[in-house]
Amino acid sequence: MGRYVLRRTAQAAVALLGVSIVVFALIHLVPGDPVRPALGTRFDQELYETLIARAGLDQPLLLQYWNWLTSALTGDLGVSFRTGQPVTGALLQRLPATMLLAFAALLVGLLIALPAGIVSAVRQGRPVDYAASSFSQIGVSVPDFWFGLLLILVFARSLGWLPPSGYVSPLEDPVEAIRRLILPATTAGVVTGAILTRFVRSSVLEAMGAEHVRLARAKGMPERYILRHHVLRNAWIPVVTITGLQLATLLGGIVVVEVVFAWPGIGRLALDAVVRRDYPVLQGAVLLIATGFLLINLLVDLLYARLDPRITTS
Amino acid sequence: MRWRYPFALLAVLALFATACDEGDPVDVDDPTTDDPVDDPVDDPVDDPVDDDEAAVGGTLVAAIGGDPDQLDPHTTTSSFAFTVLENVYDTLVQPGDDLTPEPALAESWEISDDLLTWTFTLRDGVTFHDGSPLTAADVVASFERIAEEGANAFRLGAIDAYDAPDDLTVVMELNRPAPNLLDQIGAFKGMAIAPAAAIEAGTLGDEPIGTGPFAFVSFTPGDNVVLEANPDYWDDGPFLDGIDFRVIPDESVKVTNLETGEVDWIDSVPPQQLDQLEADDQIVLGRVAGNDYWYMSLNNDREPFDDPNVRRAIAFALDIEIITEAAKFDAATPNETAIPETSFWYFDYAPFGQDLDEAQRLLDEAGVSDLTIDLMVTNEFPETVTSAQVIASQLAEVGIDVEIRTEDFSTWLADQGDGEFDAFALGWLGNIDPDDFYYAQHHSTGGFNFQGFADDEVDELLDGARVETDADARKELYAQAAARIVDLASYIYFYNPEILEAWSPEGTGYEARPDVAPRFATTRKG
Amino acid sequence: MTEPTHDPAEELQAPDEPSEPRWRETLSALLKNRLAAAGMIVLALLILSAVFADLVAPYAYTDGDIVRRLEPPGRDHWFGTDELGRDVLSRVIFGARVSLQVGAVAVGISLMVGTLIGLISGYRGGWIDAVLMRTMDVLFSFPVVLLAIAIVAVLTPSLRNTMIAIGVVFTPIFARGVRGSVLSVREEVYVRASRSLGASDWRIISRHVLPNVAAPVIVQTSLSLAFAILTEAALSYLGIGVQPPRPAWGLMLLDAQGFIPTGAWWMSLFPGLAIFLTVMALNLVGDGLRDALDPKQRSIIQSRGVT
Repeated sequence: MGRYVLRRTAQAAVALLGVSIVVFALIHLVPGDPVRPALGTRFDQELYETLIARAGLDQPLLLQYWNWLTSALTGDLGVSFRTGQPVTGALLQRLPATMLLAFAALLVGLLIALPAGIVSAVRQGRPVDYAASSFSQIGVSVPDFWFGLLLILVFARSLGWLPPSGYVSPLEDPVEAIRRLILPATTAGVVTGAILTRFVRSSVLEAMGAEHVRLARAKGMPERYILRHHVLRNAWIPVVTITGLQLATLLGGIVVVEVVFAWPGIGRLALDAVVRRDYPVLQGAVLLIATGFLLINLLVDLLYARLDPRITTS
Repeated sequence: MRWRYPFALLAVLALFATACDEGDPVDVDDPTTDDPVDDPVDDPVDDPVDDDEAAVGGTLVAAIGGDPDQLDPHTTTSSFAFTVLENVYDTLVQPGDDLTPEPALAESWEISDDLLTWTFTLRDGVTFHDGSPLTAADVVASFERIAEEGANAFRLGAIDAYDAPDDLTVVMELNRPAPNLLDQIGAFKGMAIAPAAAIEAGTLGDEPIGTGPFAFVSFTPGDNVVLEANPDYWDDGPFLDGIDFRVIPDESVKVTNLETGEVDWIDSVPPQQLDQLEADDQIVLGRVAGNDYWYMSLNNDREPFDDPNVRRAIAFALDIEIITEAAKFDAATPNETAIPETSFWYFDYAPFGQDLDEAQRLLDEAGVSDLTIDLMVTNEFPETVTSAQVIASQLAEVGIDVEIRTEDFSTWLADQGDGEFDAFALGWLGNIDPDDFYYAQHHSTGGFNFQGFADDEVDELLDGARVETDADARKELYAQAAARIVDLASYIYFYNPEILEAWSPEGTGYEARPDVAPRFATTRKG
Repeated sequence: MTEPTHDPAEELQAPDEPSEPRWRETLSALLKNRLAAAGMIVLALLILSAVFADLVAPYAYTDGDIVRRLEPPGRDHWFGTDELGRDVLSRVIFGARVSLQVGAVAVGISLMVGTLIGLISGYRGGWIDAVLMRTMDVLFSFPVVLLAIAIVAVLTPSLRNTMIAIGVVFTPIFARGVRGSVLSVREEVYVRASRSLGASDWRIISRHVLPNVAAPVIVQTSLSLAFAILTEAALSYLGIGVQPPRPAWGLMLLDAQGFIPTGAWWMSLFPGLAIFLTVMALNLVGDGLRDALDPKQRSIIQSRGVT
């Protein structure tokens, strides 16, 4: 177990190092001068040189990388080409909105997937099972941003039940914050739910086929009891795993949903940085999300290994 | 140094870039709904105490479409920064309601007989937000800094020297007569007067200190800028306790937030929502004819566009009414020249109109067939992309194939600077004086003459108009220049958009201005 | 947007023995699967209308009549008109061209590059394998859409760069999977035998390795196409993919969003429906292919999601 943890962690560390190289390389792969386009409306030789120097672009490449990496480790991701503000501050300011949306979407996904997955496993081959798998099939094929637009059309424009977009901090106005959260969380959550539903279903099915479940059934125990005490107890491990991975996926993919709903999160920040050619901000956002993505994957693997010791020996 | 021009161009552009969507010169709203314009006349000026008593207070929540990149008036070119700074700073003179310069920090001015020495007398008793009094030294320090900082230095090109003989007198020595000097030094808050001490200390970027109706409190990038009332403001107002400028990039979110009362004022309205919002009595729509114009231009350095008749043929082939309608719905007025009808400098001239036969005749005469045009547009200004698609389908009717190249603005500017285009479409925003409209764009030595237009007669007219001090004679010179510019199709002009803003009926004492400078000094809430 | 975070090596694991291409079997199995058959029909229609768009579409995609802008669906315009008075149906039909082209080229890139990397890595082993696979690991550590955005940011947005970005993003999926298959084949007795008989690397690869890799690669191609088309639509919707005036579906949705408040629902509905149906069809075919080629494999869900 200890060796597995070590090996898996080392693996993640190597990947993270690679990620940092790719992110660092971004700005150097830009054809031409990365700084000038970002200055855009306010070109000024002095400012230009200051930015070059602040970004360390006048130093040898290896030294640049070293400096960039060591500052990044201490939480300093440089300053925005556009605003001159620290990138880390901008990221932290946007992080709560993204986290809120990601967790809310995950919640929506679980609220859909747990009942749908369990019921369709228990009623395998019945209409409810077909309904659930159709839902999954549709959910994985629907473009999330389009689904979001449809929700806006129906629930905000036609019915007028919910605000079409925008973010309000839950600390400022909890009720309004939830009203604004519903549509984007549903948008991202339905796709997540579609994926999770299949996993819940197959985990439950697998657990139902286990020896001791069949034994329990042979003993004539009530189905409900078997389900609760034998099936779900075993099925939850893979479900937890997959849920963790979905969270990572959500963090990475939520940018599109953020744009649909004008949600001021990291994804939108990254996109604005692309359009504005603000490479330090883009680097920071990509690094943050990729790191989160890696860490969640690592944690999930370690957790899984702990829950299911077979993995470390195989 | 090919970068310099594009960025200077952008500087002027960005001046009013809020104006990404505005519309056509239509009369200002029905005055019965709310007519705040005249408050200042009735109110006893210069009496902040009185103001306080009249005030209902409250904080105005104003939505702006983007983050100010910074709040230093002398270096920023962000329209969002100027939306904020309009209320923090003052200039020596400022555009009045009809955009002609009126006294602001300078109470009066005198011009010497040789037109080369201008003497400004400052208003007495004006203080900065930090309590220090405004003196001539502050004015001189501000202009010197503007000249150094670059973004607006070109506006001071006519001025050789500044002098401050006493605390309330500023003397400017010119190198040539400059009939538009007042416009150059006071058209917008990029020419703001800041305290010499803050300029010296280099703190202006972090903490704006002005003489305006509101003082800076805080700036959270990506979120908001907070201002509080300046009780010692020299002019009428302020009546609000403060202003909270919130950054809301999404247009439809802005509108929604106005509808739900979360914000009191929004800096733009999508033109396609005009009808809908006009019918909404929970919203006051501000529509005013703006001074911006949108156009396309052909590369005079490339064949066959070096032939004026080919350019004219293209102008004849276009239906600018349709282009206008497509790009701006009802919120713009088609115009074959640059300056809108509402301006003193307007010149009524429309030689083209769509005439496909004439277009075809000109093309045949020039021996041009199978023409393909590489038309460069930018998604930074979506209306150029929209226009381009209409242009393409219209030119197809005379057998011209238009290949639309959509680029991000940085690339677009670089290509423009390098002359890498057959044609491009863009707009000019925030011009007031006719010199701004024509000189840099169409003089053969003009800094923004990317199309390579060169005509001796136009050069001569523009040079003459630049130093002509009689307004009517000057207007005539510009009319002649404009006629030639249009005839030779240096630019093919499309339309003047309207300035569109909206606010809640609770807000009074506010009016949308043609220069898109939102002034909240006399605004009341509730 | 979700991504393929699963381990494709597992999924691309070749069957244990070298298999003859079983085209006929596969096809008949595929046609018996009603969902997959439906997917194939939809795909066939899409491809036909993309190829013959000029004949099928009632109008040219650039033809606009400003007087008839924003018309709801009706007799002349079944899907209504957009903000320039252009026929939405025609634009959706021409949009199929863009989507299928981007999907095909992007997946083509990752298929070729990925397969090559996988073959080299698996067949050569050693430090080449280590370097290549760690590189693929790194690319795999990024969320797909984010990596695509970053690549486009560097290359500037255009149709070509969209294809390149998506191609890069999907390369590790193929590389890892192919490598896994190669590893399992490499040590098979018959492979070792033919090597000891002096067969060249190329012969071994083409005779023994590639046939084994083919089936899982085909399945993965179908599923990747679905996801590539989704990704292209997302990038175009974000304004950093295909640029106007090309009628890409994602781009049409970007335009449409500004007209939601004016009630022009048809501008949003139809392009999105087109993406949805295309992706669904590809997923169903991919699912069917997997069932036909290797019934033990897990279902399509993996194209979008999961370990």
